[in-house]
Amino acid sequence: MTVATAHAAPPKPSTWTRVRGWVGNPWGRPRFLVGFTWLYMAWSIIPALIAIQFSFNSGRSRTIWSGFSTRWYWGDVDSVWSDADLHHALIQSIKLAVLDVAIATPLGVLLALGLARWRGRGAGVSNFIMLFPLVTPEIVMGVSLLLVFTHVFTFIQPSTTAQVLGHVTFSISYVVVVVRGRLFSIGRQYEEAAADLGASPAVALYRVLLPLLMPAIVASIAIVFALSIDDFVISYWLSCGAGCDTVPIQIYAATRAAPLPSTNAIATILSALTLASIIIGYLGYRFFTRHERAGGGLVGDMAAFDV
Amino acid sequence: MAGEVTLVDLVKKFGDLAAVDGINLEMPSGEFFSMLGPSGCGKTTTLRMIAGFEQPTEGRILLDGDDMAYTPPHKRNVNTVFQSYALFPHLNVADNVAFGLKRQKVGKREIRERVAETLELVQLTGFERRKPAQMSGGQQQRVALARALVLKPAVLLLDEPLGALDAKLRKALQLELKALQQQVGITFIYVTHDQEEALTMSDRIAVMADGRVEQVAPPREVYEEPSTVFVADFLGVSNLMDAEAVGGANICRLRLGDFELDATRGKTDARGSVRVTIRPERVHLEPQDSTGQNRIPGMVQRLVYLGNSVQVIVHLAVGNTIQALVQNVGTEIPWKQGTAVQAHLPADALRVLEDTGAALAPLDENAVPA
Repeated sequence: MTVATAHAAPPKPSTWTRVRGWVGNPWGRPRFLVGFTWLYMAWSIIPALIAIQFSFNSGRSRTIWSGFSTRWYWGDVDSVWSDADLHHALIQSIKLAVLDVAIATPLGVLLALGLARWRGRGAGVSNFIMLFPLVTPEIVMGVSLLLVFTHVFTFIQPSTTAQVLGHVTFSISYVVVVVRGRLFSIGRQYEEAAADLGASPAVALYRVLLPLLMPAIVASIAIVFALSIDDFVISYWLSCGAGCDTVPIQIYAATRAAPLPSTNAIATILSALTLASIIIGYLGYRFFTRHERAGGGLVGDMAAFDV
Repeated sequence: MAGEVTLVDLVKKFGDLAAVDGINLEMPSGEFFSMLGPSGCGKTTTLRMIAGFEQPTEGRILLDGDDMAYTPPHKRNVNTVFQSYALFPHLNVADNVAFGLKRQKVGKREIRERVAETLELVQLTGFERRKPAQMSGGQQQRVALARALVLKPAVLLLDEPLGALDAKLRKALQLELKALQQQVGITFIYVTHDQEEALTMSDRIAVMADGRVEQVAPPREVYEEPSTVFVADFLGVSNLMDAEAVGGANICRLRLGDFELDATRGKTDARGSVRVTIRPERVHLEPQDSTGQNRIPGMVQRLVYLGNSVQVIVHLAVGNTIQALVQNVGTEIPWKQGTAVQAHLPADALRVLEDTGAALAPLDENAVPA
């Protein structure tokens, strides 16, 4: 009953149409965007890769490659391991970062809780002031903190303590922003449910709110650690001298004097630590939100940070 | 038996706005009591005050005679089923249900037994290890119920618990919820904007508007004998007509344009400008030449076939349009568009309403409760 109809073969598309379709086919993969993204990634990562490569140089040059070696990490008298200044700077950086995380995270969580729950006069202003450290140029903050410590709170002289206080001052805002975002997205319903079921405010905080805030707390820890270990300006202004030098300060000083691949080595260690803190943060976030996900990949997860 | 809630002159103000404006209600123990009204009528705020999430501006909340207006929520013997369920996402079903028991320091074995018992009650045995995110809306709703019921509260508060479910599931759960309430025998205070839901399940309904109670009565009475304009309007097609009450006490004499009608229902001692109502199924359409009391001539404007009945929209000579429902008994109805008829509005079906001034819901919202 069916009559087969002979269709004329469609005309062959021109080369231009095929190329055009390969790059920008709306039903296919976004090849142009993917290509552009890779280009940017290469651009931003290549300098770091070169710096890392030269940290393994067997020669004393930071520009001429003469073979692979780990002498700038340990072994050589000028290696990170043996050079007391570099060694000390690395320990100082890690010390500051750990103290910063340990102080800024709990304080930031409490501040976020307070600010998110505070309604009425002053709430708007304090929420706004909380964002100040994010927009204030770091150098301004560094200088003013130095003034405060040398003229007002004179019992705190430029020192490790001053550096930690400086780091906490600016990193606390990041904690507040991240945690408050999560607080707003989870709302008050779980706290009310907990109270309804007989949990006192303290128990509700510990049993319900903190577990739900865990992803934001882990994210904050990663951010604060990365910020602190990266910081140059504040650490520099509040430094007590050689004893308080952090890795960025050492690198800065070394680059101005006679740079050796050991500065590359210490920069590499620093990058590895920062990267590790971010990966640990991300894995922690994945772990603590494993019940809330209904699939969704990395990008979807990051969107849940809600900053 | 415990579980009697009394609200005395309850007021809640947010700034200058009175969300709840002087409510007096008595909900005896074991009753399925609904608060029905449009959004913004104060029903949820009232429920939240009973739960303890809001503090009353004025008034008292008595549970079995004790004022608990200043008792924090975690010390009240009432539990809530939230509209959004608010199940703890980091805990599995068993731990969600056990949460309240753990706060009461109940022993481990008893916790296990009571959780199992309650999950059986809501037909969720076997779901103990599931996380809320792995369950359907209907199942989550049951977990929320179990989590509250396991504590054996004196009163269970339900804030539109079926609002997020689809129509078919909602119907099924309405019946289940009612059966469950009769089984456990505790007071249910149920908040909804869905009149059908309230009529199906409740022992008594408080219809609310603008932070005030318009009428408290059993479903049948609220539907058949609305006392105020708002209640009549909110509970479906109401054929509201403006009239002038001119006399009578037990029988109210009404003047509508050039016609005089008698009404024996409602506020029959009212005088002056009033509103009257009649249920569409009580309007009798008669041939043009029929005579007698309480009849107004009109013309059929439109017929709407509804299956088991036909809705006839009649434009009355006094200027109003009213609806009449004619039961479908298998014979064709004699009216067509443009037919002149007499609308018989029996005196015992005409109801004189009290106007509390509450703003009526706009038409579309009335048709499809959002």
